[in-house]
Amino acid sequence: MTHPNQSTLALYAGQDLGWFTRRRTERHLTRCGDCRSEVQAFASARDNLIALDELPAISWNRLSGEMKANIRLGLAAGECVRGERTTGRVASFGFLSGARTLTACASAMALVAAGLLLQRPNPAPQPAATGDSAVWRATANGIELNQGGRTLSLLHAPSGDVTYSAGAQGSMRASYVDSDTGNMTINNLYDQ
Amino acid sequence: MTSKLAILLVAGVTAVCAQETALDHSVNINLPPDSPLTLISENLGESHVTQRGSAVVLDLDVTLTLHNSSPNRVRGVTLLVAAQEVTPGGKASVSVPSLDVAPSQNFPVHIDLRLLRPAQIAGGPLVQVNLDGVLFQDYSFYGPNRLDSRRTMTAWEMQAQRERKYFKSILAMHGVAGLKQAMLESLNRQAERPRLDVQVSRGRAVTSAAEHNARFAFLRFPDEPVEPVEGWAEIAGNEARNPRIDVRNLSSRQVRSVEIDWIVTDRQGKQYMAGSVPASGPEFNLRAGSTSRVLQDTALRFARLANDGGAPVSIAGMTGFVGQVEFADGKVWIPNREALANAQLLGILEPSPEEQRLTDLYRKKGPKALADELNKF
Repeated sequence: MTHPNQSTLALYAGQDLGWFTRRRTERHLTRCGDCRSEVQAFASARDNLIALDELPAISWNRLSGEMKANIRLGLAAGECVRGERTTGRVASFGFLSGARTLTACASAMALVAAGLLLQRPNPAPQPAATGDSAVWRATANGIELNQGGRTLSLLHAPSGDVTYSAGAQGSMRASYVDSDTGNMTINNLYDQ
Repeated sequence: MTSKLAILLVAGVTAVCAQETALDHSVNINLPPDSPLTLISENLGESHVTQRGSAVVLDLDVTLTLHNSSPNRVRGVTLLVAAQEVTPGGKASVSVPSLDVAPSQNFPVHIDLRLLRPAQIAGGPLVQVNLDGVLFQDYSFYGPNRLDSRRTMTAWEMQAQRERKYFKSILAMHGVAGLKQAMLESLNRQAERPRLDVQVSRGRAVTSAAEHNARFAFLRFPDEPVEPVEGWAEIAGNEARNPRIDVRNLSSRQVRSVEIDWIVTDRQGKQYMAGSVPASGPEFNLRAGSTSRVLQDTALRFARLANDGGAPVSIAGMTGFVGQVEFADGKVWIPNREALANAQLLGILEPSPEEQRLTDLYRKKGPKALADELNKF
């Protein structure tokens, strides 16, 4: 029994064969389990490829139009340059014109397209909840300054009662009776 | 062997970097030549400097003895203490309100705080102490007033007079026993006042899907010269940001500054003092009958105290009221004690510095000493 080659089986799996070859391959597949398995493997691989190929929403028509327009623009530019150069000394660079220019432009466009295709959608970065801004914190133990992830106590709670209050202009205040002087004392720490 | 050497090396470097040195001759006390206060002595106590990486930490334990060389009684002093004024942690102030210093009398001011300074700054004293203001018995003021200390010290002095008047009236009506009862009530109020762990930061760009604009409810006082009209803040969970409050001048005088006190309510309906929102400066111009906006580009976050679990406190509501008004002539309005009691604010607000001082005096020396102190005024 003559088996169809792998290309034929792959094309069959993709429903890309012509009518006559497809009929002939179908007849063979009804009799040959090995080839059926190969076709199933090709079909499965194709499904996986389709799943992998899920790309972000891209307007292919628009992209195609832009690429064509760029190629036309490149060709037109090449023509202009060639027309001038043929009259001057730099005409010896004629190897950049014509089909080669088209190839160069097409290669560049292909690179751009490949970049777009390879780009996978990434979640938009969340705005930073905290920056390097200084954060004053009044706790039962004193006033702390936190900046850039580092915390430093700037005012320890003295013995006795301390009243802390926050100022929305960026200050923190501690009021207490100073044990050394007996005076009511108010310390204010400022943002800047 | 190599790892042991590395540990020794790291330990050695850490010890060298964190070395403490005394702060001798590194504190500069600047009093202007025409100052009503003169410096008698300075004691640097246990002040010291510690190098921490690229920063220098200055632990100040400075006691100044100042002399009142003016003909007036001094009621309050504010000193600006600065190691540097560029980054947070470099500038602080020490205020001593509720003073009663007679002319030619000396009095102490204790500076007990910590400042930061970049290690790269070379030369000159590490700390500069400047006089920002002196308030006298007649409310006259001396000083550059860089920290708006004229307004704050005038308000404290007015609060001091308000509290002394209240406790003196109790003493007059009910004697020492009545004063004792009033002190116990005040101490209970201070102990039971709901308190939160509050964080303040300026100019933060925080956005959240759960953020919404919340409207302030306002408490009104019968004699207030400025009324809050409407106000909002952005709320997201336990964070309140960018308060903006429209106020109208009801008086016939120009107002120089207004301070709105801010109360937040949690989901259980418990109220907490959040902070104050001041507005002053040339851009805040509140002529008689006009309206202006009090706003601050700031964020406040609230959490329960560490010994209460430290959990974030979600904000369910906000209340504001006018806490201070300063007129263009330097006079200050504050709510009277009756109005605060009627609005049930005494149990929420921080005690005034004078009430704190008087209750401390009562606790340490008893009702008789307190009565003697009240009778001095």
